[in-house]
Amino acid sequence: MNSPLVMRQIREWWPVLSLAAIVTLVTAIAIWMGGDEIKVTLTEMLIRMTVVIATYLFIGNSGILSFGHIGFMCIGAYAAGWATCNPAWKQLMLTGLPAFLQENEYPFLLAVGGGGLLAAIVALIFGAAVIRLSGIAASIATFAFLAIVNSVYSNWDSVTAGTSSIIGIPQVVGPWEALAFALVSMVVAYVFQQSRYGLMLKASRDDEVAAKASAIDIVKVRLIAFVASAFLVGVGGALYGHFLGVLTVDIFYMGLTFVTLSMLVVGGIGSLFGAVSGVLIVTLIVQVLRAFEAGFKIGGATVALPQGSQEIGLGVIMALILLFRPSGLTKSREVPWPFTTRDARPTAAEQAQPAE
Amino acid sequence: MLTAEDVVVQFDGLTAIGNVSLSMGRHEVFGLIGPNGAGKTTLVNCLTGFQVPSSGRILLGGEETAGWKSERFRKAGIGRTFQAGRLFREMTVVENVEVTGVGLGLTRRQARAQAMDLLEWVGIAGKAETVAGTLPYTDERRVGMARALMLGPAFVLLDEPAAGMSDAECDDLMHLVAAIPRIFTCGVLLIEHNMRVVMGVCDRIHVLDGGRTIAEGTPQEIQRNETVIAAYLGGEA
Amino acid sequence: MIGFLQNLIDALSLGSLYALAALGIGLLFGILRLTNFAHGDFISFGAYALIVPSLEVTATKFIGNWPWYLTLPAIAALVVLLALLSDFLVFRKLRQASAPTLMIASFAVGYVIQNVILMVYGARPKAIDVWSSLQQQVVIGELRVPQLQLVTIGITIVLMLGLSLFLNRTSYGVQMRAAAEDFRMARYLGVKANFVIGLAFAISGLLAAMVSLLFVSQTGTLSYVMGVPLMLFAFIATVIGGMGSLIGAVIGGFAVGFVSVMCQAYLPEELRSFRDAFVFAIVIAVLIFRPSGLIPTKALVQRV
Repeated sequence: MNSPLVMRQIREWWPVLSLAAIVTLVTAIAIWMGGDEIKVTLTEMLIRMTVVIATYLFIGNSGILSFGHIGFMCIGAYAAGWATCNPAWKQLMLTGLPAFLQENEYPFLLAVGGGGLLAAIVALIFGAAVIRLSGIAASIATFAFLAIVNSVYSNWDSVTAGTSSIIGIPQVVGPWEALAFALVSMVVAYVFQQSRYGLMLKASRDDEVAAKASAIDIVKVRLIAFVASAFLVGVGGALYGHFLGVLTVDIFYMGLTFVTLSMLVVGGIGSLFGAVSGVLIVTLIVQVLRAFEAGFKIGGATVALPQGSQEIGLGVIMALILLFRPSGLTKSREVPWPFTTRDARPTAAEQAQPAE
Repeated sequence: MLTAEDVVVQFDGLTAIGNVSLSMGRHEVFGLIGPNGAGKTTLVNCLTGFQVPSSGRILLGGEETAGWKSERFRKAGIGRTFQAGRLFREMTVVENVEVTGVGLGLTRRQARAQAMDLLEWVGIAGKAETVAGTLPYTDERRVGMARALMLGPAFVLLDEPAAGMSDAECDDLMHLVAAIPRIFTCGVLLIEHNMRVVMGVCDRIHVLDGGRTIAEGTPQEIQRNETVIAAYLGGEA
Repeated sequence: MIGFLQNLIDALSLGSLYALAALGIGLLFGILRLTNFAHGDFISFGAYALIVPSLEVTATKFIGNWPWYLTLPAIAALVVLLALLSDFLVFRKLRQASAPTLMIASFAVGYVIQNVILMVYGARPKAIDVWSSLQQQVVIGELRVPQLQLVTIGITIVLMLGLSLFLNRTSYGVQMRAAAEDFRMARYLGVKANFVIGLAFAISGLLAAMVSLLFVSQTGTLSYVMGVPLMLFAFIATVIGGMGSLIGAVIGGFAVGFVSVMCQAYLPEELRSFRDAFVFAIVIAVLIFRPSGLIPTKALVQRV
């Protein structure tokens, strides 16, 4: 039963298999145990997981911080919403939409793909322009990108209903659908980081000068990761729209950017394990803070934290992690292989001991 | 042939290199020595495309390299190691070398096979799966050498490969370096402070001091050269 | 012609604001390699410090009611205190941290400040009247220029001269410049690192306070996110001007102000609400041709 080949395959895929198992288990337990409210929180968490993993795909491997991924989420969400919401409503409210979108209603998966695709195209154009900038300047540019998307989408009334909402998007995304996409996201991220592109990108992250000297086309490799990441984030956005049923522009701005970044930072910005565990942990923290904000009855009075404590609490936690454990709770490592075998790879900590 | 012709490099009015010329072939180990601050690193940065000379020319195979960026030097067959090592610290030893192959267009499998061969030759195959950031200093140098040779270069610059090595390790290194021109058809430009290694392995040596050439010749000639001795000992010629 | 001159003055005035903000950012970047994403929230804080904490829509001025020669130093002191506090609590322990870590840390600090303001003052924008008498126009030939714009330009020039004198003529300023060039070497030569850095934060805070007062006078509104667009434009300015160069930050600030006003004035009606997007697009176009900015400095050059 345990043929060496199968064992080797499992071992090679262990980092993603283990995470998939954990997340599926968590989902199953939560659905079985909880009511509707849990399902809502769970679905939102899994959608965020898709987005955070996609963001990690770029940030973790390239070492370049991006503040703009939620902009791609917005693009994907609106694109998918345009595809699936009611044509009659669109013709009335979104007069600027092209005919093929305005007059038709498309199936869910096609819409999701379209959302990802539009995000990827925008990423290609924007990325080609800014990828040659130094890491710091590029990060600033991504921040500006977030602001541009917010500004454009808030003002382009004929296409996005501006500061009011797009409504009537079929709410077909529940926890199982979200789980499926989160798992897909996990696999894509893992395949990427093990691929030749992941390898080259990681080299450019570790030492840019040496990477160039080692025949790596840094610009090309970064762009590929940026576009792939944007595609998946756009997919996450599409899911989000089909979960909420309603879209407004302002949900895709600072707040969501901060939450998703904090998930990466708390978990560990440099590994898939970090991304996934960060989502789980921060969701838990936010739930706890939310409960404290709602308050507890002690005696006859309600004791509660003031509104806004959630955000401040998360900010403080982020700062603490950055100060004391900048590589995140997982130290940016993948899930360790639990069994020791003869050719077990020693961890970096073990190897740091003076040997011969 | 890799040639520097009347190269001058100035930084903010300070002359780091003044009128240096040298030429080396693919069949030899060419040493570059001089006291600290002599301009060796600046000169090799010019020869490998990381520094543009303020005046003078760098010629590769007779071809002008004016306006070339470092990628073009690399593509034309110049490889190098770095004094600071600059390994990819979070990646394993074999991945460090493999990634160069991948960058050149090989599949991961092909690149890995070639990388293992090189690591074997350099004598560090046993640590292939070790994370590069945890290596001792001397092992870092070997990996750097393998990584540079993976490019299949026509000329490779080795920047102080013997730093920190014991005598036994130096002997080992000398065997490797001496063999490079023969095995890889690759000329070696060697910056080194360790005179034992330099005199033992170089075919010709070029001596810099204060940014200027003070001597060039075989190891025997250089060892007897009074200007060189004075430069190192600070006495008078 | 008059219209163009009018726009030019608008551009100078807006550019001054951005230049001041960019200077505050550029200073910290030059010395610490810190991209301070909290700078915008320092500015917001300075503005909110003018009023009494409350959730009302109408703002009750507190410090804002004092005469200008008291308000100015008071707000400046408060913002400087905030800046020093954030250094002491957060940035001091991150001296050796990587650039991405510093970026996220400043983002977190800014986020916390923003949400504290939100918690204390509420989410709704408030109207506030600070030095509105400066809105009166001065007539110069055929031009009508609001006094405030002239004041803004004037204050900016004074501050830039002051900063330049400080950096070039005083011993502390020279130490700061040395630290910006080569931090380790400066320390080795005896420059007291933490003091110099504290000084940089203080000056950065001072500049932020000035921006907040000028901005609030001009717009008459307070909102907990008011600092964000300013911060963004200031960062864009430093990137175009060349990160690490103070002169670049100033030039970048004026450039962004110029482009913004010109877009506002000359874009067709329907596209005017997309002005910001156009400004960013133009900036990106500049960056394609000059990725290191207009005045690149050593701060970004890698040693091989």
